[in-house]
Amino acid sequence: MDTDTLLQHEAVSQSADPLSNQFGSLNDLAHELASLQDLANRGSWRSILDKVARARSHSLLNTPHDHLTYLAYNVLALAKLRRFKDALTELDSVDDFDSHHYRYETYPKIYPTRCGSMVPFSLRWLHALIPIKLGNRQEGLDRFYILLDFVRGKLKEKQDYDVSIKMWKKREVFVMNGIISEHLKNKEFGVCLDLIKDLVSRGNLDPVLLSKLGHIQMQIGDLEGAKGSFDKVEKLLKERNAGGDDELLSEVEFRNQVNRNKALVYLVGKDYVSAVREYEECIERDPMDVVAINNKALCLMYLRDLSDSIKVLENSLERVPTVALNETLVVNLCSMYELAYVNHSDIKRTLSNWIARVAPDDFDSSSTRI
Amino acid sequence: MSTTQGTHSLAFRVMRLCRPSFHVEAPLRVDPSDLIVGEDIFDDPIAASRLPPLIDAHVTKLTDTSDLTYRTRFLLQHPSDSFGLTGLLVLPQAFGAIYLGETFCSYISINNSSNFEVRDVTIKAEIQTERQRILLLDTSKSPVESIRAGGRYDFIVEHDVKELGAHTLVCTAVYNDGDGDRKYLPQFFKFIVANPLSVRTKETTYLEACIENHTKINLYMDQVEFEPAQHCSANIVKADEHKSEKDSLSREIFKPPVLIRSGGGIHNYLYQLRSSSNGSAQSNILGKLQITWRTNLGEPGRLQTQQILGTPVTHKEIELCVMEVPSVINLDKPFSVHLNLKNHTERELGPFEVWLSQNDSLDEKAVMINGLQTMELPQLKAFGATDFHLEMNFFFCLLAISHSSSMEMKKSSIRPFSIPAENMLQSFAFD
Repeated sequence: MDTDTLLQHEAVSQSADPLSNQFGSLNDLAHELASLQDLANRGSWRSILDKVARARSHSLLNTPHDHLTYLAYNVLALAKLRRFKDALTELDSVDDFDSHHYRYETYPKIYPTRCGSMVPFSLRWLHALIPIKLGNRQEGLDRFYILLDFVRGKLKEKQDYDVSIKMWKKREVFVMNGIISEHLKNKEFGVCLDLIKDLVSRGNLDPVLLSKLGHIQMQIGDLEGAKGSFDKVEKLLKERNAGGDDELLSEVEFRNQVNRNKALVYLVGKDYVSAVREYEECIERDPMDVVAINNKALCLMYLRDLSDSIKVLENSLERVPTVALNETLVVNLCSMYELAYVNHSDIKRTLSNWIARVAPDDFDSSSTRI
Repeated sequence: MSTTQGTHSLAFRVMRLCRPSFHVEAPLRVDPSDLIVGEDIFDDPIAASRLPPLIDAHVTKLTDTSDLTYRTRFLLQHPSDSFGLTGLLVLPQAFGAIYLGETFCSYISINNSSNFEVRDVTIKAEIQTERQRILLLDTSKSPVESIRAGGRYDFIVEHDVKELGAHTLVCTAVYNDGDGDRKYLPQFFKFIVANPLSVRTKETTYLEACIENHTKINLYMDQVEFEPAQHCSANIVKADEHKSEKDSLSREIFKPPVLIRSGGGIHNYLYQLRSSSNGSAQSNILGKLQITWRTNLGEPGRLQTQQILGTPVTHKEIELCVMEVPSVINLDKPFSVHLNLKNHTERELGPFEVWLSQNDSLDEKAVMINGLQTMELPQLKAFGATDFHLEMNFFFCLLAISHSSSMEMKKSSIRPFSIPAENMLQSFAFD
């Protein structure tokens, strides 16, 4: 996106009427945004690429923020389709996020009351993530840490803006989670534990976060530590019931988290029967709790009941495909098929064909290992 | 009973059942506000009030199964959704490495892929190593009556791995096939057991054990205990916590685990050893280390080292140290030396006599030292010590050389009492 195009747009657009409804619908925010959002919800990322290409070639994008929004959807779509090199090329067309080209005050005719950066934050996040996906881990991690500093800088700046502060705090957690995930993937557990400690000390006494801490402790083998973390989560649930308030987690979600934590403790102690019982309680409460469904199936297998473990997974794909269809569940099901059937390629092919009809564009079909 | 290579109705399918792991993946999910609008838009007060409700209307949680969208793959609903660990467990995807001290666990399924029922199935599973054959399962006392066409018979076996090297899981089935023929099906699954750790020790009165991790995964040290031999006692020496925990909340949450990095990481343990006998038994066996570790989701492993030997040391019963000597000493002016006497045994020793010894050497010296002839010190209790001072004096010793053979320099010859070299001395300056 070059200066000439942007300045042209500024000259051409009408002055915005501050009293007109700029926030009536999604389409007020960007050209045909509702359609883009709908395609993304359905996982139709290839269609998004088409739509972006068409909008650009037909010059349908009239404002600088339209271009940026479409760019963001485009980079995200390419990343979803695992076309990371193309995503990088697309991102490179924005050479400097902090350039004045991407600031509202550069275009007072279009944004008379606004100032600040119009870069969608997800672009900054993708800018850090994509090098990692391309195998350049050090570069990506460096960018992530720089991004974290950037967010913390914004938090200091925006002291007076309540809504903004909320957003930037969310972004801080988002970036930290991205960093933790990367270290976790590389089994750098010491760093992960330190970062989580940091998150907790910043006032994020989040039962889900504490549960995830317990999971990591369990993964390492620190079972005592894991139990301690899970006990704290249970305590938080009791406090909530006694009158606390957590708008972010519904009652059902909270209870299920506690049950799933309990199930893990049983599983690690090899009491698979009790683990299954906990997972069944979760599924009864929330039939779309796919973590409970998946893990219950695994417990059945450790109980020597391969047939039922296969049934649980197949049943979930039939009943709630949009949550159950995830790569991990499919990997597990295919492992079970390989064990249960000498001629497993037939049944895997049936599964694979069904997936091809139903799955979103970004589904990684290599999970069937055909 | 035919053991022909002809087609079998039955086949064994085997899968190693070590513990599952959590799936870890940074999800490609975003907050809609980070995608559809500029990052600073919320600074605009109109946007700040109108935008959030608009966006919320499009981030409804999935509550209805008829909502056929994959929005949970795209949008974040809870802040922790961007944390790449959902709790989804994955089955072990490969056999992996197996190490001494671990437990080998396997799911074994015997499948009838033929169109006919098979009957009277006797199944056996054994582990064969260089040294022995260990029976894990044997249904010969009560054979499986039948396995229908397309059916299966499953079992899970476990074996504590106590040998290194090549292992073979031998599965055999003897059955009557559809034609009534008695068939014998053997199947072999090989794996190698490697050594997970090496333990190096160094000791004097302290034993330092260095544990090195040779596996491909991080090992969580659950318990490392030193079991001393009968004549020893040991206690572990730990560093003080030097990091000041500024946040008591996070301090409560967990204590840092001892995790040894894969592929060559090390961790050291230090034990203080004490001899509890009267010292006459010169056994140099110190004891053994018992190590319990955990890996993936608490998968345990156990090993014990062989007896750790110490270098035989004649332990000193008493030790005499020079604590302080004045940095400037003048000839012919008396000076005081501060000494310490320590009792290293468990019993009372003494009383003692301390005296200054001259150099045993027969060489004449120009400067000699004299002082208190002997000093008496009272008994020292077990492991006790006492400080005392000796007055000494340097003086010139003139040798009178005379032709008379009747003159002789008198030398005092006193039996020496050893003073450890490391406690000596600073330089002297003479006037």
